Amino acid sequence: MTNANDVLSSIQSAFPGAVLDSKVESERRLWATIDSKKILDVCKHLTSKLNFDHYSGAAGVDWIARKEMEVVEIMASHGAHQVVAMLKVKTSRENPSVKSLTGLYWNANWYEREIWEMLGINFEGHPELYPLLLSDELVGVWPWRKDYKGYPDLTTGERAVQITTPEGYTEYHIPPTPAEVEAGTVVVERPKYPSFREREEREIKSDAEMIMHLGPQHAMVPGPFLLDVLVEGERVRKAFLDVGYIHKGIEKIMENRTWLQGITYTDRMCYVASLSNNECYCGAVEKILGLEVPLRAQYIRVILEELSRIQSHLIGTGEFLTLIAGVGYAPWQYMIIDREQIISLIESVTGARLTHTFVRFGGVRNDLPEGFADKCRKVLPYMKSRTEEFIELFEQDPIYHKRMDGVGIIRPDDAKRMGVSGPPLRATGVAYDMRKEDPILVYPELDFKVTTGTKGDSADRIDVRLREMLESIHIIEQCLDKIPEGPIKTDVKVPKKVPVGEAYYRVEDPRGEMGMYVISDGGDKPYRVKVRGPFYATFQTLTPLLEGVYIADAVAIAGSMDGCPSEADR
Amino acid sequence: MDLIQSITDFAVQEPAIFALIIGVVGAAVIAAVVNVGAMLVIWGERKVLSDFCNRFGPNRVGGRWGILQLGADAIKLFTKEDIIPGDADKGVYVWAPIVASIATMLVAAAIPFGALHIGGKDVPLVVANMDISAFYVEAALSLMAIAVFMAGYSSNNKYSVLGAFRGIARMIAYEVPMGVCVISVAVMAHSLNLVEIVQSQTLWYAFAQPLGFAIFVIALITDLGRIPFDQSEAEEEIISGYNTEYSGIRWGLLYFQEYNNALLGSILLSLLFLGGWQGPIIPIPILDIVSPLIWLFMKVVIVLWCLIWVRASLFRLRIDQVTDLGWKWMLPLSILNLGWAVLVGSYFA
Repeated sequence: MTNANDVLSSIQSAFPGAVLDSKVESERRLWATIDSKKILDVCKHLTSKLNFDHYSGAAGVDWIARKEMEVVEIMASHGAHQVVAMLKVKTSRENPSVKSLTGLYWNANWYEREIWEMLGINFEGHPELYPLLLSDELVGVWPWRKDYKGYPDLTTGERAVQITTPEGYTEYHIPPTPAEVEAGTVVVERPKYPSFREREEREIKSDAEMIMHLGPQHAMVPGPFLLDVLVEGERVRKAFLDVGYIHKGIEKIMENRTWLQGITYTDRMCYVASLSNNECYCGAVEKILGLEVPLRAQYIRVILEELSRIQSHLIGTGEFLTLIAGVGYAPWQYMIIDREQIISLIESVTGARLTHTFVRFGGVRNDLPEGFADKCRKVLPYMKSRTEEFIELFEQDPIYHKRMDGVGIIRPDDAKRMGVSGPPLRATGVAYDMRKEDPILVYPELDFKVTTGTKGDSADRIDVRLREMLESIHIIEQCLDKIPEGPIKTDVKVPKKVPVGEAYYRVEDPRGEMGMYVISDGGDKPYRVKVRGPFYATFQTLTPLLEGVYIADAVAIAGSMDGCPSEADR
Repeated sequence: MDLIQSITDFAVQEPAIFALIIGVVGAAVIAAVVNVGAMLVIWGERKVLSDFCNRFGPNRVGGRWGILQLGADAIKLFTKEDIIPGDADKGVYVWAPIVASIATMLVAAAIPFGALHIGGKDVPLVVANMDISAFYVEAALSLMAIAVFMAGYSSNNKYSVLGAFRGIARMIAYEVPMGVCVISVAVMAHSLNLVEIVQSQTLWYAFAQPLGFAIFVIALITDLGRIPFDQSEAEEEIISGYNTEYSGIRWGLLYFQEYNNALLGSILLSLLFLGGWQGPIIPIPILDIVSPLIWLFMKVVIVLWCLIWVRASLFRLRIDQVTDLGWKWMLPLSILNLGWAVLVGSYFA
């Protein structure tokens, strides 16, 4: 199996001088600073020679003290090996610009757009450098740079125009009115690009076509995002996706909160999967701190994360059912009622139903309550029989098969190329699960299978989710048997200030691969937290997937992805 | 006695005016019965559906059964602001709910709501007992399609117009097999009169022509726009379909007509295929008079319950699959059933 050292030496021998700086953290993590001129060649080499076929994302970092910016490309492989290569490309802070990877990796598109709009790093060769998460008038303020003072910039008054309303309130106006432009109050010129609406209206070719909004407020969307479909009759000819309606700037907020306070923000990214978000953040910080988590705490974490996976899959599947059967469909209510039992189990441990803030650096907040194992052993067999019933129900329903079979097929190669993650990826037959690929906690000691589908259509995606619940139940049962007595927190005192360092930590979220890239500059706050959300990765595949399907199928496909725009937007 | 005597005298002297008065009174009674019935259907659906879903349903207004919920809803709908979109075709938009109401009332006029067992004979309760009532009812049912299209098209809304087109495509595809099924029944009964069709059912037509029964049930669900055939208002796809822009009592009227139709459709199904009000006479005084009514009521309740059951357990079909099923399967099969009806009917005649 290839390890990080092999990868590094392969790059060094193929491109002498391309690696400016490198660090092999472990067998599975490689950190390397790559010459910005050679990054395209290095990536091509990694993909073609070393099986790095998974472009996992990119992060932008503003190193204001060093007067430079950094783009970190995160590369991994779909099962060929377990190395994650973190390739850093440096650029000057005055005129930041790096080469775009969109030519090599289809899914680099959104990651680079986000870095551009947040940090102002230009990507040479990017085909559509338009704002993604931010609204149009915010482009040019580069909010994630370290010298950003808030919007409107009230410290200098450079861009904002203060206006007193007739009611006596003070308002700061941006974008400016023509009169304000004439007065010269607006200094910064914004880049020119077509707006979202202009981009979609360009595509209308005949009178028979129209654009129909499915969102941002629509019965179909699980959270606010805009899915516009260009329809000709009942057929979708093209789909347009606009996200950012629930952008909360969590990554930036976490830079302004202490390490411990950051945990609460990870809850709010996606409240149906808050435990794995907690785990991801705490795991990354533990890695920088070098903390060992006591065995009992590890088991508690695994139990809760798997419980959280079950409830997330239940609500995801249930919501999907309402999309193709209407809210009167009884099994959807059964799923919600069953989910309640799981939620109660988690609540009995964490004290909260959705936003738990339970995981701590080097342990968990509190121990399992008395009688938790007995309660679990009562609920789990019931859950198992119910899940099997659901699987059987959908297997036998002819209308379900008529509606869902062959709808929204993703082929395995496309799924890999487009960076799909989680159940949608596994439904295509690619057994890619972080619990096996990048094992954390006690997962290596547990016996479980990675559930995969065969066809990669909507029915498969639901089937994979339901069978994954069975696996989760199996995992929890093992944990309950194996869990040892002992401390639930590490003995080491966790310092307020985390030493200088960086870590990339991946967990298997209910929706797929969730990664967090955390940088510490030695202060009591994180220097940068980059969240690589699983649904953000799956989200952009909707656009090509919806071309040529019926409206009803478009809704079903979008629903079968188990979307969480809140986590995608962060 | 004097009153009855004078009425009879009047009826003999002025038969035309008397018929008119009877018609007007009958219409008022029918309108009241149908609308109250529809309210009960709505309440029943909410209660039964929530039972299927393991929830409570309405349980606050009017005691633990939530029986006054509909009154509260009606008050809310009546007092809501009436919003007409600026770009709507105002005339058509305003008239669409009214046309829908008229359509259901036209159906109700010709449907026998049961019978009274008086002096060893069943006296049917029907306002307009016409010779071709089965045919007429079938025709009047499809008027609803026009109202749906008016509502959807005049709203000037993309969701509405898609819903309207879906509605029309669906109705056309299923009205034809439904009509053929009615004809098959008429062939067996040797009459197009609903009363005579009921009286001719010594063996229920559901057993005499099971294929026709199945097709009629499916076509009826389609006609009523219920799951799995509610594409014209699939809320997860096109918000609310043809009535997206409607609000207040105009929306209420459109919504109400769906349940009116559900009630009338269930009665029609019971009359055509389930033997109508026929059944053993209950040998208890007074109850024996209304026993045909009780039988019909029970059949209608069971049919409605099954419609709700279907809603709780089936997925919605896609519109192309719906029309596909209608034209490629239902129509040929209904014609096959017609052939069967002609064969069997002429053999037993």
